[in-house]
Amino acid sequence: MNTAKTKNPAGLASFTQAWLGLVALTFISLYLSNWFHGTAWLQILVAAIIWLKGILVAKEFIEIKAAHTFIRRVVLGFVAVTPLVLLIIAYFGNQVARWATL
Amino acid sequence: MTAVAATGLERLETESSNGRIPGNKGIWVGITCEFVEFLVLFAVYFIARAHFPEAFEQGGEKLSRLAGTAITLLMVTSSFFIACSVATMRAGQRRASIAWLVAGLVMALGYPLAKFLEFQWNMANGITGESGIFFTVYYYLTLNHLVHATWGILGILWVLARHLVGGYTSDDYSGLEALASYWHATDIIWLVLFSFFYVLV
Repeated sequence: MNTAKTKNPAGLASFTQAWLGLVALTFISLYLSNWFHGTAWLQILVAAIIWLKGILVAKEFIEIKAAHTFIRRVVLGFVAVTPLVLLIIAYFGNQVARWATL
Repeated sequence: MTAVAATGLERLETESSNGRIPGNKGIWVGITCEFVEFLVLFAVYFIARAHFPEAFEQGGEKLSRLAGTAITLLMVTSSFFIACSVATMRAGQRRASIAWLVAGLVMALGYPLAKFLEFQWNMANGITGESGIFFTVYYYLTLNHLVHATWGILGILWVLARHLVGGYTSDDYSGLEALASYWHATDIIWLVLFSFFYVLV
């Protein structure tokens, strides 16, 4: 199963960059939440940050580009679904609430 | 028997042409189930949020952002360390791989500790599962995630024990990579929960 063998742990530099990116995005999202509370476009930015963080973990840590097609679809699909639904709820929350009422 | 072996070989060839499996097939069955489970839990969150937008806008202000941020930093850092453990093992650096894994375990153990302190803080401030729809959903999702993270921590302990007795080599480290894949998937789920409860307020 393990075919991606290298002599040097070359991934460490890109892992470090991904980790720094994740930490930075965490603080950026807190900053946005503090300063733009209640604005309509905050949810778009938060959805984008959720997607970006998921992509960083999938691409750098799971090494999704080299993974089997099924695994790639499962992970990238999961990462994409939540921000999309978040945007749907933000802009069409009333309709969703009506559809989801018993 | 020959036909079975041939089918197995064909499947292996298909796998290699379609990409590799990080870890092993079993863990990806588990991760897929975990994703499906949390998609159902996220549906609960979204439906509740659609019905009670005000409760979700105000609820997060009462939670401890410090705890949420600390857990996020612990999760991404432990994920980073465990990814380094896989990379160093792949390069044949067993001792470095063990050191990275121990560092990942230490960071991962900070999660249940931070969650315990957060729940204590919640109780001191009168935040229980009966404090409103937002808090019911918050406890439901975050406790579920804590259960999955606990399985991951137990997995790290098992993999560390195997690693210490020479269970992995640069040619065969699928158990270590399987654990890493599960932990990264659990990390992705937490990053969503963090935004749901501590950012979107």
